[in-house]
Amino acid sequence: MAPLQTVSRALARSAAAARVPATATTTTTTATAVRAMSSTPALRDSSSSYQSPFKGESKTKVPDFSKYMSKGSGSTNALFSYFMVGTLGAISAAGAKSTIQQFLVNMSASADVLAMAKVEVDLAAIPEGKNVVIKWRGKPVFIRHRTAAEIDEANSINVASLRDPETDDQRVKKPEWLVMLGVCTHLGCVPIGEAGDFGGWFCPCHGSHYDISGRIRKGPAPLNLEIPAYDFSDDGKLVVG
Amino acid sequence: MATAIYNTLFRRNWTMLGVVFAGAFAFELGYDKVMDRVWDNNNRGRQWKDIRHKYIEGGDDE
Repeated sequence: MAPLQTVSRALARSAAAARVPATATTTTTTATAVRAMSSTPALRDSSSSYQSPFKGESKTKVPDFSKYMSKGSGSTNALFSYFMVGTLGAISAAGAKSTIQQFLVNMSASADVLAMAKVEVDLAAIPEGKNVVIKWRGKPVFIRHRTAAEIDEANSINVASLRDPETDDQRVKKPEWLVMLGVCTHLGCVPIGEAGDFGGWFCPCHGSHYDISGRIRKGPAPLNLEIPAYDFSDDGKLVVG
Repeated sequence: MATAIYNTLFRRNWTMLGVVFAGAFAFELGYDKVMDRVWDNNNRGRQWKDIRHKYIEGGDDE
């Protein structure tokens, strides 16, 4: 099939080629006739000629740049260029870093706000076995000066049996001082001190009982009373915040 | 000399970047120090650290 096709195609092409010269001559004659009838003069027989506007000047003459050329060597120039680029980059980097840093510092709390957010308590004024409630950032903070018996009681409890297992050591920095937020973890009431079934705190709203370490023992509250950030200063004072 | 510096500091892009950042760090330190000194010099006798000894006696601790 294929060879037959190629043969027939070759035949047709040769026949067409034989016919081409005749048609070609006829088309050229008509083309010249059309051109002769056109009003614009043909380019070939125009009398005008192209004239360069830079006549008389040598086109290869290059201006003298030697006055502007560097006297130093190529490596020195490269070093200088990269040094300048690097210096600009370093200054920009320092500026960008400083801008961002100052912007972020601007958003953080200022010194006076931090000072207002702290509360200082004189611990010497709290006798053993007494509770003190202070206000810190709008919330009550319980401070209890615990007796040795209370500390022992807090440590004797099986931690695994608690709803929110925490040892007493995890909740205090000094065992005799218990500091915690006086907000019930159930719905935010303020528990009553030295009350409840476990000798600690009792929330009157829904009956949550906290023990002497502030851990939830009975009632609906899910978590132990929260411990705020606090620290003991050297001169016997407690700083909450 | 110049070739040696160029080859060690600027030849490779990452070394140049490192040099630039290290330079930025050093520049920032020096610039901050100089500007702090200029500020303190301009406001001498007017800042808390200059007049603190008049109001608080008992050494450095508050």
